[in-house]
Amino acid sequence: MKSRAIAAFLAMLLSASARQWQLALPGCHYQFPRDHFSHPDYETEWWYYTGNLRDPGGHRFGFELTFFRVAVNLPQQTVPSDASWRPDQIYLAHLALSDIDRGEFYHTERLNRAGPGLAGIDSSEGRYWNGNWQVRWVSLETGEQELRAVCERFAIHLDLTPEKPFVIHGRNGVSQKGAEPGRASHYISFTRLRASGQLESNGGSFSLTGLAWMDHEFFTGQLGSSVAGWDWFAIQLDNNEELMLYRLRNKSGQADPYSSGTYVDARGESRFLDSSQISFSPGEFWQSPVSGAAYPVAWKIAVPSLDLELSERTSLKDQELFSRNSYSPAYWEGAVTYSGRIHSQPVNGVGYLEMTGYKETQKVGAH
Amino acid sequence: MKTLGPLLVNLIVRPMGRERVRTALTLFAVALGVGVVIAIDLAGAAAAGSFHSSLESLAGKSTLVLHQTGGIDQSLLGRLVQLPYAFDFAPRIEDFASINGKGEALPFLGLDLIGHPGQHEFQNDRPDSAARDLAGANPVWVGQRLKLRPGDQVSLLINDSIHRFTVRGILKTRRGEIAEKNAIVADIGLAQQVTGSAGKLDSIDVTIPPDHSVDYWREILAKNVPAGITIDDQGSRTEENRKMLTAFRSNLRVLSYIALLVGAFLIYSTIEVSVVRRRADIGIVRALGATRKMVATAFLAEALVIGLVGSVLGVVIGRVMAQGAVALIGSTVQSLYVSSEPAPIALTGGAILIGIGTGLLVSMLAALAPAIEASQVAPVEAMARGRQEYITITRSGKKVVWAAAMFATAVVLSKLPPLERQPIFAYAAALLLVAGTASAIPATVSFFEGVAKRAVSLLLGVEGSLALHALRASLGRTSVLTSALATAVAMSSSVGIMVGSFRETVWVWMEDQLKADFYLSPAGRPGADRHPTMDPGIGSAIERLPGVAAVDRARSYTISYAGLPATLMGAEISKAGSSRNTRFMPGQDRNRILGQLGRGDYAIISEPFANKHGLGVGSEIVLPLRGGKQTFKVLGVYYDYSTERGIVLLDWHTLLKYLPDAAPSSLVVFLKSGADPEAVHRGIDGVIAGRPVMVLTSSKLRREGIAVFDRTFRITYALEAVAVTVAVLGIAGALLALVIDRRREFALVRFLGGAQVQIRRIILCEAGLLGLLANGIGLGLGTLLSLLLVFVINKQSFGWTIQFHWPVALLLAVLTTVFVATLLAGIYPAGVATRMNPIEVIHEE
Repeated sequence: MKSRAIAAFLAMLLSASARQWQLALPGCHYQFPRDHFSHPDYETEWWYYTGNLRDPGGHRFGFELTFFRVAVNLPQQTVPSDASWRPDQIYLAHLALSDIDRGEFYHTERLNRAGPGLAGIDSSEGRYWNGNWQVRWVSLETGEQELRAVCERFAIHLDLTPEKPFVIHGRNGVSQKGAEPGRASHYISFTRLRASGQLESNGGSFSLTGLAWMDHEFFTGQLGSSVAGWDWFAIQLDNNEELMLYRLRNKSGQADPYSSGTYVDARGESRFLDSSQISFSPGEFWQSPVSGAAYPVAWKIAVPSLDLELSERTSLKDQELFSRNSYSPAYWEGAVTYSGRIHSQPVNGVGYLEMTGYKETQKVGAH
Repeated sequence: MKTLGPLLVNLIVRPMGRERVRTALTLFAVALGVGVVIAIDLAGAAAAGSFHSSLESLAGKSTLVLHQTGGIDQSLLGRLVQLPYAFDFAPRIEDFASINGKGEALPFLGLDLIGHPGQHEFQNDRPDSAARDLAGANPVWVGQRLKLRPGDQVSLLINDSIHRFTVRGILKTRRGEIAEKNAIVADIGLAQQVTGSAGKLDSIDVTIPPDHSVDYWREILAKNVPAGITIDDQGSRTEENRKMLTAFRSNLRVLSYIALLVGAFLIYSTIEVSVVRRRADIGIVRALGATRKMVATAFLAEALVIGLVGSVLGVVIGRVMAQGAVALIGSTVQSLYVSSEPAPIALTGGAILIGIGTGLLVSMLAALAPAIEASQVAPVEAMARGRQEYITITRSGKKVVWAAAMFATAVVLSKLPPLERQPIFAYAAALLLVAGTASAIPATVSFFEGVAKRAVSLLLGVEGSLALHALRASLGRTSVLTSALATAVAMSSSVGIMVGSFRETVWVWMEDQLKADFYLSPAGRPGADRHPTMDPGIGSAIERLPGVAAVDRARSYTISYAGLPATLMGAEISKAGSSRNTRFMPGQDRNRILGQLGRGDYAIISEPFANKHGLGVGSEIVLPLRGGKQTFKVLGVYYDYSTERGIVLLDWHTLLKYLPDAAPSSLVVFLKSGADPEAVHRGIDGVIAGRPVMVLTSSKLRREGIAVFDRTFRITYALEAVAVTVAVLGIAGALLALVIDRRREFALVRFLGGAQVQIRRIILCEAGLLGLLANGIGLGLGTLLSLLLVFVINKQSFGWTIQFHWPVALLLAVLTTVFVATLLAGIYPAGVATRMNPIEVIHEE
């Protein structure tokens, strides 16, 4: 359940008059590997890769590579142009690298339409790409994937191998985000991908290994208008368990009852966690000098049913994706670490934290 | 008198102050001369120098650009963007559009407004709103100069059809980026559709990663694109256009120096008059201790003042004239070379310095001889009386020898080849011809007096005889004046003859060439770099009309050859049934060449192309086309005056083989003998069915062609007019000086019973005789110069064969204008002379 605001924003921009899009409703019959790829009947879809990596010397990095697809329905009076350039689908992608030990964060984005192969999702090739940022499924059975991205500052190449099968979040095949039917998404994750590969950057060449996480989500209009933003946590614990937790915030800054999460045990079995089972408390704030938004970069999380208490920290506070010419609203998405206990045992972990909707909140002076 | 200060005041400043009108005339003449130089410099820079090839506008910060004649298959873009390098590839469609099919051709660009909105500064605050803005009825973004507002509907003619668009926004103009002001931008998909180039891109702008050299990345690109694609530096088209315009601009610049050259004669004459007039004063100051050097310096100072004030004035005048010149030059550049909009005129410090510097230099050089002459006046002359009667001693015999030597050298120089594509030696030869003629003028005037004496006294009576004698008596001055006027006449008539010959050549060529009955091409103003196309169906439908014998198709592309723009053309020139009248260079067999043209990779090339690139029969031309570089063997060189860019002409089917796009740029229709042209014309109109396609008969086409030609050469006429004006101003000033110097003579004539009207007649006779003399000499010199222009300078600069031809009407007009103007120039001095009170004048003495 990522960067929903980005997609919602684009959808708002692009869909002038909506045709009847398919909604994420309970009882969906998934079919894999087909459902790892595009669902053009849904307005918005994304494939989200994040991960914590380090080189043999212990130099820590975080990375994010995201492919968004937003469907556009153009009004009928438009003269039909050559189909390949018709902006029926818009493809947005974000790429970010956190050089944690050097304290550097770099991010960039691109926007394309299909054009003559500029961007797209091709299930027959097992591939989604936006220019030379791409993920290719090496094996549809094992879920092995190959990630490649090149930008002005760096080039990254990772082999991703699932250590657990993917999970489908929520209940009955939908991750519900609001009371109305369809305020929901279909949400699939690979919560533990063994990552190894190569990073070429201006700072040098690094052989990297670590843990990655992949989310795939598709929906039409999943958020209600009362939602202001959310805080999303991907947690990969060193006891071989994972959690995905999100906290939806309404416009008064309160947690929405449709906040929820998923717990994945060491064998890969998953369990839904509803909002009553999770508590989130923001700690230290960091204010972005670029956007002015103030983000809670330290959190305390508790899931009493798991006997879980975790403190979230980040060694790199500036992991905000925002620039003046950005297509998307400002959001914070960064590599973080966790420490605390689960099942009464001390535990550490890595993961990613995403926080959206803080720029507006900041403007109103809520903090 | 040991210091220069008082000397300057007495010898220079006071006399100049006393003769305000004459001083003002000279100043104005210099100002005009400098003004023209500056105007042409500024206008040339604006029209050609700082222009961006309009299609290269909005190229962002990209470094390289991929091109392919006939367009790039867009699937290449899909492959390129996935290469594992941090390139940025921005596709473009490049075409032209005109609003409602009228007026100038505006650059019409298709850009990827979703993938690269940030590269182009649209007025929209957020680049992503471009994506939203793609919704709606054919949205376009337009340059500021088009004066359209968001929401306006606009109809654009693109190729052979009109499309309606909605203005969605105004293009922001970056500093110095001129072409954007009149550009029209659409999203690439829409642009492909309306330009009929689905699946194709005209170019791909490439921004390279900063961590390696351009050459490094060029090599990587080269490995990843097909062989037919060229990888150019961004801006290379602009550079090529600029190079192409070099000859045009330098010739224009040379023409602009004519007025200044005429001005130089006038400065010479002014200083010379001052020296003669102040001979006694010079003697006195020399007697009072002034050195020779001081005297020379004083007169050079006079020239300096005239040069400086005149030049400063000239800068102002030049800035004003540039405005008019830029319109004239701009239309020439548009119709002959490249579709571009003139930049704003930029009066830079450099331009001002060059203008003033040139003015000063010319003034000082012109004043050198009289100043030296002044320094040689002996102190004893202070005592000598009769200064009015002083006559410059002219060694006309020696000067004639000089003249002969200069003419001989000119002939030799005219045989030399160009230097770096510039006819430098020919220009030198022209200068020598002018100087030689000037040297020969005293002898000519004497000769003229001898010959004309009887005729003049018969025709003009005693006043005429007096005038003729006076001319002879003041030979030193007269000859300089005659030189100035004759130079102006010569320059004007030589340019007139050249242009007239060219015009006649083009006309004859068109008559010869345009033998078909109808010519079809998409509507809109023609341009050398624009080749709009028509629906291929039109040609075949016309072929089926009753009465039509054949339809020849032709298609043109703008290409780049050896760093210069050129036109690649495919034509059904050798088709049976058609009878195009291509004329080849002497010794080339037309029928054999045309018979062979379609049988393989052969080409024929136009004369300017051959001359520009040093090619001839048997040469090989390598062009990057589909499937890689293709070699064509040149079978012949043909006469063509349609474009200075030069043409490589292939057979229609040869071109189609490499560029498979059957949409023609033009159609030529031949009728069966006995067919009714009216009926066929109606049939053609039916086929066109309201599409904006022009159907011209050959006579109409010829008229259109000659109209373009005339528009092109308007600037040269304007330059000639200024040169003549400068000369006439000079004549007025000089006659005034003559009148003042001879007031004693006129007073005597009055005392002896001469009427005022007779005095006036004497002066007017002098003016008229001077005009006549200058016309005669000018015409002779002009003819010589025109030979240089037609056969050497034009050939070396532009590569055209021009048949010599006397444009009689034009020449008569020039000569009459000059003669009348000279007479008019005599009116004011004549008035001054008649208003003199003879008693006062005699008392003065």
